[in-house]
Amino acid sequence: MLQALWDNLDYVAPVVLFCIGLYIIIAKNNLIKKFLGLNIMETAVFSFIIALGVVDGGDAPIMGADARAPFASPVPQALVLTGIVVAVSTTALALSLIIRIYRQCGTIEADELREME
Amino acid sequence: MLAWPHWLVVVVLVPLLGAVLTPVVSLRSRHVAPWWALGVMSVTSTAALFLILRVAAEGPFSYLPGGWVPPYGIELRFDEFSASISVICLIGWLAVLYSLRYVEWLREVPKQRIPYYYSLLLLNLGGMIGFVITGDLFNMFVFLEILSLSAYALVAFSGEHIAEMAAFKYLLMGAISSLLVLFSVGILFGVTGSLNMADVATRLASAEPVAPAALALGMLTVGLMVKAALFPVHIWLPDAHAIAPSPISAVLSGLVVKIGIIGMIRVYQIYNSANMIDLHMLNQTLVWLGAISIVMGAFFAIFQDDIKLMLAYSTISNIGYIVMGLGLSTNSSIIGGSAHVFNHALIKATLFFAAGGLIYRTGYRTLTDLRGIGRSMPLTCIAISIGAISIVGIPPTAGFFCKWYIALGAFEADQPFFGFALIFGALFIFIYYIRMVNAFYFQAPTRPEILEVEEAPASILFPTLLLAVLCLTVGPIPLTFIKPAAELLLAPLGG
Repeated sequence: MLQALWDNLDYVAPVVLFCIGLYIIIAKNNLIKKFLGLNIMETAVFSFIIALGVVDGGDAPIMGADARAPFASPVPQALVLTGIVVAVSTTALALSLIIRIYRQCGTIEADELREME
Repeated sequence: MLAWPHWLVVVVLVPLLGAVLTPVVSLRSRHVAPWWALGVMSVTSTAALFLILRVAAEGPFSYLPGGWVPPYGIELRFDEFSASISVICLIGWLAVLYSLRYVEWLREVPKQRIPYYYSLLLLNLGGMIGFVITGDLFNMFVFLEILSLSAYALVAFSGEHIAEMAAFKYLLMGAISSLLVLFSVGILFGVTGSLNMADVATRLASAEPVAPAALALGMLTVGLMVKAALFPVHIWLPDAHAIAPSPISAVLSGLVVKIGIIGMIRVYQIYNSANMIDLHMLNQTLVWLGAISIVMGAFFAIFQDDIKLMLAYSTISNIGYIVMGLGLSTNSSIIGGSAHVFNHALIKATLFFAAGGLIYRTGYRTLTDLRGIGRSMPLTCIAISIGAISIVGIPPTAGFFCKWYIALGAFEADQPFFGFALIFGALFIFIYYIRMVNAFYFQAPTRPEILEVEEAPASILFPTLLLAVLCLTVGPIPLTFIKPAAELLLAPLGG
């Protein structure tokens, strides 16, 4: 069991990170910390997709069979690049929302905000 | 004109480019922005019209940008479900027209920011159009993010004091659900090595370890469920939809939540045609969640005094109807459920437009304050009453046919319990809409100044009335249109 987990560390680690991020979002009270949790989840998903790009013993399609390994599939990298752009815009929007919440309410602690509502 | 293949690209590129250019064209005068947005939506709607005529004439078709063949290049695919761009374009166009006066009236919004509002609205509509016509899983995620991000920003736009909080809550849940979708797209890519929906479906059929694909299905369903605001992940919806400016509420409640449903239909298409996992468990779960959503949404709506909050809860219960229809997975229930995607969009947009008209003229938004408004704003109140009877499902309005088909499906599937849940939900819905109509027409006004207000201005009244007329007349048309597609949903996906 442990050996299997260790062998698939590149898949296990993102799942663990994903869960840590989710826990932070649910458990933390501060909006910035909640958002950092979301960033951890994003990193987890990106590293998972990057890890998919490595295929042991695969051939690079255009280079031909005699090209020297190691290779990584370019498709997941392109996906993650797009994903990062999306993550950056989410971060920008969330931070600007947090700034506006702070200006209006004077706090970014979720429980104090709930009392104000 | 009809056969010109490039319409499929035009229909998604025009609103996205138009969105980016909106701040540029309104540099000189911010009054250009709404007319520019209206022009962009007119071009898009024309393209959509040609596409729908074509799909009605010759069935589903694809477009390959750059000429790369599907498994390697990306694919835009237009089928009967994509015909929901008709209602996206219609409500989008009307929402832009509606915003003309409404956004100027929002006191908290700085006037020089108004062009950005139209920019975000076009981005949102473009994202939705892209989502329903893409044939590629990763593009699906990208369009989902385009439309979600612009939706978060639009919720915050109204400037009311808890708008940012509502937008942040929406953003947090929306971002988690998008990550679930991305994670499962990654898993599917890892299992099949492909991102094209039809290709993924063929390769999944022979995929060896079943567990990852099942995990991906579960995560996709949960992720899209959050977007569709199904119980128990609906908690972001009421605040966000009630606080957004009224034209945005109409777009969010009528269209954006349906994107989650259309995404579920796409995922269902893939897994159903791969036929590797028994979907019975999933269906049964969806039916139950749908039934709970119906009853719970209707139940909470009864206790709301704020008219927009009430409409927002009613959206949850209508999403329940759609999901229940899909989950029952008999022929008629799927037809009813997917036609309700169209019809509920029309009905809910009518209701939010009309509610926005009342708020625009009076500045009040609770039923207590709005008592007696039927005497001073008769046309808007007629529209809201038509919307109310359609959503309850009284024949021959738009809501009746869908609910009839879903109920029929419940009995067909030999699960009459859910048929009764549906009727029970309809009764609840009846109660709270009767409460609304009663307050508007028959109760003595609590605010005497309400009898003095004028009817809403033309740019607000026209979209409201047009949609109300459609609620009355469109009737069974979406049903007959969606029929071949719904039958196909139970059959394999063609390449």
